[in-house]
Amino acid sequence: MIPNARSHKAGKVVERMGKKLSRQLVGSLVGCVHCGMCTESCHYVLANPDDPTYAPAYKADQIRKIFKRNYDWTGKIFPWWVHAEDLRTDEDLEKLKDIVFGKCTNCRRCSLNCPMGVDFALLNRMARGLLVSVGVMPEGVAVVSKDQWEVGNQMGVLPQEYIETLEWLSDELEDEFKDPAARIPIDKMDANIVYAINPREVKYDPRTISDAARIFYLAGENWTMPSEGWDMTNFGLFSGDDELGGAVALRVYDKVRELRGQTLVLSECGHGYRSTRCEGPNWSGKEVPFVIESSVLTMLRYIREGRIRVDRAKNKESYTFHDSCNNARSCGFFEEPRELLDLVVTDFREMYPNRAENYCCTGGGGAMSMSEYTPQRLKSAIIKADQLKATGTKSVVTSCHNCVDGLTDVIRHYKLGMKVTQLVNLTANALVIPERVFVPVEVLIPAVSLPLQGFKILVVDDEPDILIFLAAVLEDQGATVIQAADGEQALALTIQEKPDLVTLDLSMPGKNGGYVFEEIRNNPEIASTKVCIITGKPELRRLIYERPVAPPDGYLDKPVNEETLLTNIRMILELRQPVGHA
Amino acid sequence: MSDTLRFVSNELQLMALSFMAIVYIIRIRWLLKYKASRDRQAPSERRDTSSLKGIIYSWANIAMPWSMESTRRMFFFYLQFVVFHLAVAANITLSFVIPYAPGLMKPIIVVRMLQILFAAACAIGCYRMYRRLNNPAMRLISTPDDLFSLGLLTVWSFASIFAAPNRPDLGEGPLMVYFIMTAFFLVYVPFSKISHYLYYPFTRFYFGRTLGYRGVYPVKHVVQPKPTRT
Repeated sequence: MIPNARSHKAGKVVERMGKKLSRQLVGSLVGCVHCGMCTESCHYVLANPDDPTYAPAYKADQIRKIFKRNYDWTGKIFPWWVHAEDLRTDEDLEKLKDIVFGKCTNCRRCSLNCPMGVDFALLNRMARGLLVSVGVMPEGVAVVSKDQWEVGNQMGVLPQEYIETLEWLSDELEDEFKDPAARIPIDKMDANIVYAINPREVKYDPRTISDAARIFYLAGENWTMPSEGWDMTNFGLFSGDDELGGAVALRVYDKVRELRGQTLVLSECGHGYRSTRCEGPNWSGKEVPFVIESSVLTMLRYIREGRIRVDRAKNKESYTFHDSCNNARSCGFFEEPRELLDLVVTDFREMYPNRAENYCCTGGGGAMSMSEYTPQRLKSAIIKADQLKATGTKSVVTSCHNCVDGLTDVIRHYKLGMKVTQLVNLTANALVIPERVFVPVEVLIPAVSLPLQGFKILVVDDEPDILIFLAAVLEDQGATVIQAADGEQALALTIQEKPDLVTLDLSMPGKNGGYVFEEIRNNPEIASTKVCIITGKPELRRLIYERPVAPPDGYLDKPVNEETLLTNIRMILELRQPVGHA
Repeated sequence: MSDTLRFVSNELQLMALSFMAIVYIIRIRWLLKYKASRDRQAPSERRDTSSLKGIIYSWANIAMPWSMESTRRMFFFYLQFVVFHLAVAANITLSFVIPYAPGLMKPIIVVRMLQILFAAACAIGCYRMYRRLNNPAMRLISTPDDLFSLGLLTVWSFASIFAAPNRPDLGEGPLMVYFIMTAFFLVYVPFSKISHYLYYPFTRFYFGRTLGYRGVYPVKHVVQPKPTRT
């Protein structure tokens, strides 16, 4: 090691690099011949042909040069000859951060295309971990990691919120099947299946939980969901923090052991599947004594065994399939989703390239939580957009929640007019409900009753387009909507109109959303007003949750779609049925 | 054959070779001192592959241009790679054949074929040098070592064209240049990117082991059907 003139943090990174090096990493560090074969496999390069700094070999060299200067003989003796360079200042760390977090999604496509077998994604993840260990990371990564360490899941879903959501979904399930047994079991001992999910499902997409519950119910499965250790996602994969990775994975494994579950089934999430099934045992250093499988495999088995029946004619649109990088390129999980898709849709059209060669959704590697890199992410997404467009389909199916968000962004940005869905939704939609379950009941539907009728909602945002969107969606559901374009106006209207709910943007000129939120909570007259934060800057989330007041009642990341907005508004207003408020 | 030529074609080569071997042993020991991480998870649900299949596939990868998108797309580049590396292998062999089995170089057809191969390698080396200097991404990632190593092999290939006939009676110059360059090559290689072949078995072994175990290898490539005529 070269010990001179380094900042404290740079010194720590170099020192910790030495401890992190494995034979695989060293092989990848010394094996590159700079042949350039990896270059065109990267979607960042393809979308930015005039910027050579996106080349995977160049990005890897920014890590390699530190290794060479400190741990390899040629770099120690003749640094200029092999482009070895030391890490010296905190600015160097910031530059490295922008490369390893902002210019790569760790999709592993270049690794697969390297004749030498250099695993660049492995190097990039190591570099991320080293930076995180000294606190150098995008704000979003810090926020999400903190949530996963402290709250136990990466979206900061509180235990009460999780349990209430499951109960609410159970009530709906029971209503649907008119069967008191049709509920989501929580912490049931000795179940065949323990079902772990992505917190995004609780927060934004509870329909995927209820769809899975319908499938388990109709399959007659002995299943349960854990009250804790239910988050199968793992930000340790993205941040490169093996300690976090191991702790999160153990939290899930320990709960399954405690419940004496036989199989841990993971809902559709690429990085969750990779983290929990593949990397978790490596990070935690412990082998897992039970089976871990994707829910895709479970659903496929149910159909093959005749435990559920599906009618693919119920899904008549044209569909294509996007492979999650973590599923396909790191876990070899690409045939089963296609087999299931063939059983539940009538018109499936392959995307090219596909399987392990598919392109990243561009939201992988935690990119969705790093808003500072959004412009370059969306620019690079042109490759995915072209790929999607070429399929000529109306919907893209993916087995990954992260890809759902990534693809939704791509589709919106490039105006592709496609929908994104998951296999659990399609399978649930294709279900043939057996006679024994179907009990016709006369349902009285109120003649004129919109779900949000009677509710007064104040929407606050400085972007006119968003104000119009929010107002239109909520008014369509019967709410009385008041609009405010800045913090001062919002505060005045909250006091004057006393709305049932305020949707609040954080980043606004003048009094920002954080200030408005604290003012609302500190004013006894309006303190109990329900507040839902809607922001495009997840890094500001900390500013809200660290305030010395009660937390907001809801939190949504922009862009937000109609369905997510309404689901969350209903949850916040505690509406189980779409009935009036009056 | 003069004593000087005998020395550079024999003793000097053995010394250079011994030096290279010693440095390589040290290098491999250095690499092996790092612990290899292992996969603790259950194997892939894909039944048609395994760690072993992954390793074999990974090692054989270089001989299967259809296995990677990069070699499929840049097939001409791949062909250059094949010719260039065959020429290097032939060149190394030549450095043993000339002093120890000169009879093998008697048939003129062998000499001519080698000369064509070396000339092709030389042309490829020139093209690759141009590519490294002209393509912005390649220029950015190329180190002095990359450029020197490529230049060295290109010049060595050029020198081999004249050494291949093995006719010291017509003048010892070409053979002297060839053997001195070979000795320098052997000494320089362990410190340069040319020693990538030493790492290749390791990097591909571990990459293949992991991806085979996880069911990624062998890669399943599904060809896009050509649009049918209507």
